[in-house]
Amino acid sequence: MKTVDVDRSLCDNHGQCAIAAPEVFRMNPDGVLEYEPTFDDSLLGEVEEAIDVCPVQAIFLKD
Amino acid sequence: MSTPTVDIPYLNISDPSFAMQSEELRNARAASWYARTNYGFAVLRYDEVSKLLKSPKLKQGSAQWPAHNGVHGGLFYDWWTKNLLVLEGEDHHRIRRLLNPAFSPRLIKDLVPRFQALANELIDAFIDKGECEFIRDFAEPYATRVLTILLGIPESEWPKIARLASTVGLALGVTFKRDLDKVEAAVAELYEYADELIKDRQANPGEDFVSRLVLASRDGDRLSDEELRNALVLLIFGGMDTTRNQLGLAMQSFIRNPEQWGLLAERPELGAKAVEEVMRTNPTVTWVTREAVEDFTYQDLFIEKGTTVHLFTQSSGTDPLAFPNPEMDLLGEHAPHYGFGGGVHHCLGHFVARADMSEALPLLASRIADPHLTGGDEWLPDSGNTGPTRLPIGFTRRS
Repeated sequence: MKTVDVDRSLCDNHGQCAIAAPEVFRMNPDGVLEYEPTFDDSLLGEVEEAIDVCPVQAIFLKD
Repeated sequence: MSTPTVDIPYLNISDPSFAMQSEELRNARAASWYARTNYGFAVLRYDEVSKLLKSPKLKQGSAQWPAHNGVHGGLFYDWWTKNLLVLEGEDHHRIRRLLNPAFSPRLIKDLVPRFQALANELIDAFIDKGECEFIRDFAEPYATRVLTILLGIPESEWPKIARLASTVGLALGVTFKRDLDKVEAAVAELYEYADELIKDRQANPGEDFVSRLVLASRDGDRLSDEELRNALVLLIFGGMDTTRNQLGLAMQSFIRNPEQWGLLAERPELGAKAVEEVMRTNPTVTWVTREAVEDFTYQDLFIEKGTTVHLFTQSSGTDPLAFPNPEMDLLGEHAPHYGFGGGVHHCLGHFVARADMSEALPLLASRIADPHLTGGDEWLPDSGNTGPTRLPIGFTRRS
């Protein structure tokens, strides 16, 4: 199963991932990213869109 | 109530002589993280710009721009109030989700050889003269022809696209109301253009950018013809002037830093870094506008609902608290700049802009040495989107 990992040293909390894949990524009320490293296979397409759209390219898939 | 320990600086940002890269601004930033202005507050330091840019308590601040200028209807008004730039919440997110895949960095990468060929063709045309008008001869045709490549329309049509984009751009200027008839005519012409493109790709879809937009779907949802048209006009409106101006500012930056130009010529792989450094220290978008959606207090400042907050990009990108050595340095490791804005409204086309400029700059550096101003340069004011409109330069051909 694939999991998703965010490099926090790169993440700038723009929140584009939370728009692309809201079931996996969300911004808390302070504007800080929270996410689930594991996700349902049916969400892989959305997660890949989140990876693509991240302005600082901080999101990575892991096998 | 606490008493402020420093006097809060005041900046007259609508004064045509107001300068971002000035002693006045540096002193203000040293004294306070924010300044008062004639239109709300200006945020001057990196950490505060970074946080407020992405704060859920602020929304994009330009939705009311036409109304503030006495424009309450018409083609531009309808387009503006429905475009991604000013939409908020789920209305915004839905369109953004459908547009994003076409702007994927993986797809933009395929266009790199075309960007390189275009840059070299433009340089070929002036390299033997030892001088050029950099905006007319490079920045404007490059920025516009990149758009025609992306849209899949003949590159020979670039002067028309450039003219229409510039005319619609008048809507952002202080003379908007006076220019309204011209703006409306240009929007109408762009609409015709966009409608034709959409119809063509719907009938003959391919692998190109517009086809991807036309075919984009998610959970059974698609962009309507009107939404597609709005998006294409936004792309032309947002992608042309900004890239042209930023290339002009890049040339200014490298003229001021000749050793960095030499370094880029020797190491073309620094092209991407060059774009980041130019945009950090000399961005065309001098501020990003936000508006408070509720009353809130940030640090020592109470911000009332409806207040305009300008997030200053160049000021934050050269803030000594975040950048101890703020000068442009292609080998330095620097925090990200906010020249593409940030948060949910982060520039949609930034991968395109980054890719095309990071090809153009090293090719220029590898072919022309010692670029210098020869006089007669003309500039947009520093308020809003700045840059040279005319930039005559001299150079020697690098052998």
